[in-house]
Amino acid sequence: MLGQLIVTGVLVGSVYSLVAVGLTLIWGLMDIINFAHGDFMMMSMYIVFWLYALLKWDPLISLPIAAIVTALIAILSYRLVIKRVVNAPGLMALLATFGLSLFIRNLAQFLWSPNYRFVGESILSGKRFIIFNVVIGLPQLVAAFGSIVMTLAVAMFIKKTKFGKAIQATAQSKDVAELMGVDTEKVYMFTFALSGVCVGVAGTLLSGIFPVYPESGAMYGLLAFVIVALGGFGNIWGAFYAGIMIGLAETIGGFYLGTQFKYAIAFLIYLLVLQFRPKGLFGW
Amino acid sequence: MKKLLVVIVLLVSFLVLAQEVVKIGAIFPLTGAAAATGVKIKYAIEVAQEIINGVYPEIALSLAKSAGLPNLRGAKVQIIFADHQGNPELAMAEAERLIRNEKVVALIGCYQSSCTKPASQVAEKYGIPFVAGSSSSAALTERGLKWFFRIAPHDGMETVFFFEYLRYLNEKFNANIKKVAVVYIDNEYGVHAAQMVKEKIKDFPEFSLVADVKYPVNATNVDIEVQRVKSARPDAIFHASYIGDMTMFVKKYKEFNVVPKVVLSYCGGYQDPQFVVNLGKDADYFAGTNATTSALFSKMPILSKINEMYKVKSNVDIDGPTLEDFASALVIAEAINLAGTTEPAKVLEVLKNHTFEAPYFVSGKIKFGPDGQNVYSASVMTQILNGIYEAVWPETYQTKPPVPQFPDWTKR
Repeated sequence: MLGQLIVTGVLVGSVYSLVAVGLTLIWGLMDIINFAHGDFMMMSMYIVFWLYALLKWDPLISLPIAAIVTALIAILSYRLVIKRVVNAPGLMALLATFGLSLFIRNLAQFLWSPNYRFVGESILSGKRFIIFNVVIGLPQLVAAFGSIVMTLAVAMFIKKTKFGKAIQATAQSKDVAELMGVDTEKVYMFTFALSGVCVGVAGTLLSGIFPVYPESGAMYGLLAFVIVALGGFGNIWGAFYAGIMIGLAETIGGFYLGTQFKYAIAFLIYLLVLQFRPKGLFGW
Repeated sequence: MKKLLVVIVLLVSFLVLAQEVVKIGAIFPLTGAAAATGVKIKYAIEVAQEIINGVYPEIALSLAKSAGLPNLRGAKVQIIFADHQGNPELAMAEAERLIRNEKVVALIGCYQSSCTKPASQVAEKYGIPFVAGSSSSAALTERGLKWFFRIAPHDGMETVFFFEYLRYLNEKFNANIKKVAVVYIDNEYGVHAAQMVKEKIKDFPEFSLVADVKYPVNATNVDIEVQRVKSARPDAIFHASYIGDMTMFVKKYKEFNVVPKVVLSYCGGYQDPQFVVNLGKDADYFAGTNATTSALFSKMPILSKINEMYKVKSNVDIDGPTLEDFASALVIAEAINLAGTTEPAKVLEVLKNHTFEAPYFVSGKIKFGPDGQNVYSASVMTQILNGIYEAVWPETYQTKPPVPQFPDWTKR
């Protein structure tokens, strides 16, 4: 049973990680808590759902479209809302993203009703492996694999490319980066788009596992905050490891201590870590 | 002077002849996690409002015969909706606002028992009637409230119904069901349903409770919950879950190959027709109590007509909880009409003593007991067979015989 719980924990945690990676980029770079992050994910889930319902597209085929459209939604949100508050006191940005979150949720409900929808059939649905009595669902496995690939790609992009270095420079000091010729405005917008791609991929991979409805992103968004804070603000691999930790704590702790406590255990770990390492486990 | 007199006479006659409007507050989850159900309930209550305010001779209900409330000079009923978002504090605040600002004379709501509880406490404080349609926590009618009434069978009644159904399956089909698990959401509805299972199982000694699995509200996954169920190997699973969670459970039962003999659901997600839409063949063989099912429409013409009106708005057939909330609007309107006034004390007397006609329920009537609970259980046991909610028990209402054993997931 422990083997099953560990596998489940890693699979659940890796999906949390992917949601959190996009959030940690924004938080680390711009020092903005994006409350609408989970709602971007919900929008990507709807894109996948409608492509499935209307055109019978498999979520894996819809993935690039969902990622691009979510990135465009993120860019639009940046240009219309975030850009205006990025230099204002922190509370302004927080309230602005909170308002944005409420707007997106209510817009989704207005456009598509609050009904719970599922992507019924896909290449992955219903498929599973059993290895040494451990059941591994294929949709979860692909979601975990996608999470690792995406985290790796983002980390490589930030580390190896010129634009990635511009992001790092802007995160360290916006003024100095501008003196060095970095177009910080473009960096901010592109980072939002990158965050949108991450959460767009997460939403696509989740659409076959989790119901699609206007509040789909709420709990994932909340868990992403915990994971980012636990992993260290702006630390991409920190978010990944913290996501796995939360997944494992949720499954193993929840199974043995009571399933009703599964999130309480995750939040307790977060509180304890913040007491002793306020910058998170992998922060500096 | 003459002109002034004419104006005064016209004004007075307008005031005298102006039709009175009776305002009733309806508090439901119109946004938030349970909004899918809340919006459907809103459509059903709008249908009730149309029936009361219009003329529908083909519907054999006293309020459908004439426009408005006949004993109040044809006063129209205006339902004022409020959204509690699934938040008990908001439900309380909205009840207060509707009573104080909108001057409603009665309240109906709130679907989720956790919201019905505080909202009805506000109605009690102001001394106005509160009629709950589908909220099923037995605790609601155990508070000794004077102004609270409930139409749906409570979870205590449903639990007894579940055990009697299991007993029926054992006796009639030799189903050999012994071990029971209860899986429930961590809120008023789920926790109380589980308490009822623990209490009522004592009266059914042939069954034993082998797992008690509680899961958080807004769960992102139900993996470990299903693993807990699987490790207990129950013959029967009782579910107190909403549509989103219930759908996730079914997918996980399939993934982890959990094959019980029966799964019975309290009033909640199973009853939502979206359950079949979302799961297709995988929804088959699940069962639960239901105030109605589309299979009964051909046997009940009034219900069929109500469903016709409802379907225009919602595009789906009316389901059990929705019909119970529809009934709450009709009952309170009829009570006001029979009282001939909106004066709360007189309306209360009617609610306490009158037997209301309810030809859209299999029980056919509604009568509130001293605790405010409808003494006539409006439910039948339904089971999804080939995508249709069939009435399977009691045998009097049977549209198809029950299937007492889940087939293997690969053989559907």
